[in-house]
Amino acid sequence: MNHAMISPATAVLIRNWRGRHTVPAGGLYPHQWSWDSAFIAIGLRHISPRRAQQELDSLFSAQWSDGRLPQIVFDPTRDDYSPGARFWRSDSIPGSPPVSTTGLVQPPNHAWATLLVHESDPSESRRRRFLGRAYPRLVAWHQYLHSRRRSPETGLVAVVHPWESGLDNSPYWDSSLENVAGSFGDDVPRPDLEHADATERPSNREYGKYLYLAAAYRDAGCDDSAAACLFRVEDPTFNAIWARSELALAGIAEELGITPAYDHRQRCRDITEALESLWDGELGTYVARDAITGDLQKYRTVSGLMPLLLPEIRRGDELEALLRGPHFALGTSCLVPSHDLTAPTFDASRYWRGPSWFNTAWLLAEALKTRGAAADTRALAASMAGLAVLNDFPEYVDPHTGEPHGTRLFSWTAALCLDLQHRLIDGE
Amino acid sequence: MNMICVQEQHLPGQSMEEKWDTAQEWGFDGIELRGKGDFGFRERLPELRKAAARGISMPTVCVEMLHFIGAFDATQRQDAIVQMKSLLDVMAEIGGRGAMTPASYGMFSDRLPPFVAPRSTAEDREVLIDGLGQLGAHAATLGVELYLEPLNRYENHMVRRLDDAVSLIKEIGLDSVKVAADTYHMNIEESDPAAALLAAGPYIGHVQASDSNRLEPGAGHIDWALFGATVSAIGYTGPVAMESRLSGPAQDVLPACPVLLRRFL
Repeated sequence: MNHAMISPATAVLIRNWRGRHTVPAGGLYPHQWSWDSAFIAIGLRHISPRRAQQELDSLFSAQWSDGRLPQIVFDPTRDDYSPGARFWRSDSIPGSPPVSTTGLVQPPNHAWATLLVHESDPSESRRRRFLGRAYPRLVAWHQYLHSRRRSPETGLVAVVHPWESGLDNSPYWDSSLENVAGSFGDDVPRPDLEHADATERPSNREYGKYLYLAAAYRDAGCDDSAAACLFRVEDPTFNAIWARSELALAGIAEELGITPAYDHRQRCRDITEALESLWDGELGTYVARDAITGDLQKYRTVSGLMPLLLPEIRRGDELEALLRGPHFALGTSCLVPSHDLTAPTFDASRYWRGPSWFNTAWLLAEALKTRGAAADTRALAASMAGLAVLNDFPEYVDPHTGEPHGTRLFSWTAALCLDLQHRLIDGE
Repeated sequence: MNMICVQEQHLPGQSMEEKWDTAQEWGFDGIELRGKGDFGFRERLPELRKAAARGISMPTVCVEMLHFIGAFDATQRQDAIVQMKSLLDVMAEIGGRGAMTPASYGMFSDRLPPFVAPRSTAEDREVLIDGLGQLGAHAATLGVELYLEPLNRYENHMVRRLDDAVSLIKEIGLDSVKVAADTYHMNIEESDPAAALLAAGPYIGHVQASDSNRLEPGAGHIDWALFGATVSAIGYTGPVAMESRLSGPAQDVLPACPVLLRRFL
């Protein structure tokens, strides 16, 4: 265990720990983020299985009575993020937890992370009754998605805000945002720009729409009914991760030796099948669909590759070909670009419109490993470690040059590099 | 790879050779010595020379007196410095790494009555800078190190957190003075022991491992996985010594400790 990345990555996770959870980055993201925490726990388990459990326990403690796991759990001692606790006023919304949170959610990678954390030290997990505590929380979370966010017609979950996708300014959301009539106005608070260059972050115009949508959702009491949501988009990554986590739920129930709350593997198959309605043969990828207009959002993005995570996905070979071809250039690009390298909408430095991220690289490394592409997986893991340690664990990088962008000392960058190093490189 | 050491009082046997046989049998890599005052440690020099010549690993000594370099009494303070210099002399002679001392132990606690110390904080610091400076200079001439061990609030009032020790060491400016981090005291005093160890990383010269209740590692609730990952992250490759009290007979409880610590270091 002597890779030059291990010690500084460990140091990042120790520095960003806040007693019960890890912040994504000390300055730019000073609270607990939902899918960040799950990714962080996946790396943290190699440092401290106990802290990894606490990371997830902390998020579960902020679960709403309807089962949702909130996108952000606010640190009550911090008021330097926008939109923060004062914007959301979650304490006035029935069913919210005692701690302030947003009402939005993020991709459901938590069950997957929970099982991985358990597997890192099963005896410590059993001693602390980690899985037994987590399983009902996770079932409630998945049932929230199934009952409150899933369209009976398509069988897919819709995000009601771009932030819910985790891929905040992906081109997927462009036309749906255009269809949102209102905007928050000109006075858009942007404390994020104190920590990252404006050219690397979503634009003010996008932020105006984001805040308008968030305020509308909040003012409707975080009601998920179709009539209340101004924005509803079915995203391949959100749904693929949901399906992948159903497999993890099956594993957790087996580990606990209990009858599962429902057939998790069947639900994974159902979601896998439902994803086929997002296949675009012309582009050779899965795409997003505006659930209000029914329009497919015809872009090649890294999100459209994520169904590769599912063992029974039909278009696996086509997706692998797309990943290796000129649009994403696996092996030539630095990691995997978030958007089609050849598209006019590609921007090498702006957040989710081109830069390569470490979490999507980790997800695709997992997918490639499952599909038997061991050399690609190792190359991706090595590339992640190299880029991370060279640039102080950046949030994202230019897919052509590897130039770092966004904030530094980013927790999931450190966590996911650690995980691959331990598991795919040292573990072999 | 960190050596895992056990303090000599836990090992059965009359001679160092007998103790060493047991230490190895129980999975330890070295023995941490105890250094009595009144030149008692120096009087052991023939025995320790012989042990060193036989290859017994004795990297560190922990002072065992009732007055220390931060004593309120000037005579006691001066004697503590003399005794610590003698400990350093012996360690240099037997090829060890160094000797450790707290600022004080059992002399005063500002958390217990009468609460008000007879000396100001500024005067405490002046005394410690002087004593540590003298000992650091002496250690440097011998090629060994002096380790300042922060204790907890009930055992001393001057140096309780790693950053208290680091602050003194920075002011002294000698590489021969380093911090001895003890996980038991850290569990009481540090709000985040891992973050504290990381921050003090460049100044750590010695580590003592006891659990949250001062018993042997594994008998309390310290997160040893996190401890090991942090020790590795700061690049500390020196000894990890067990000064702990024991939860049962030594032969029953100690052999599990190196296994536990090595799992994570």
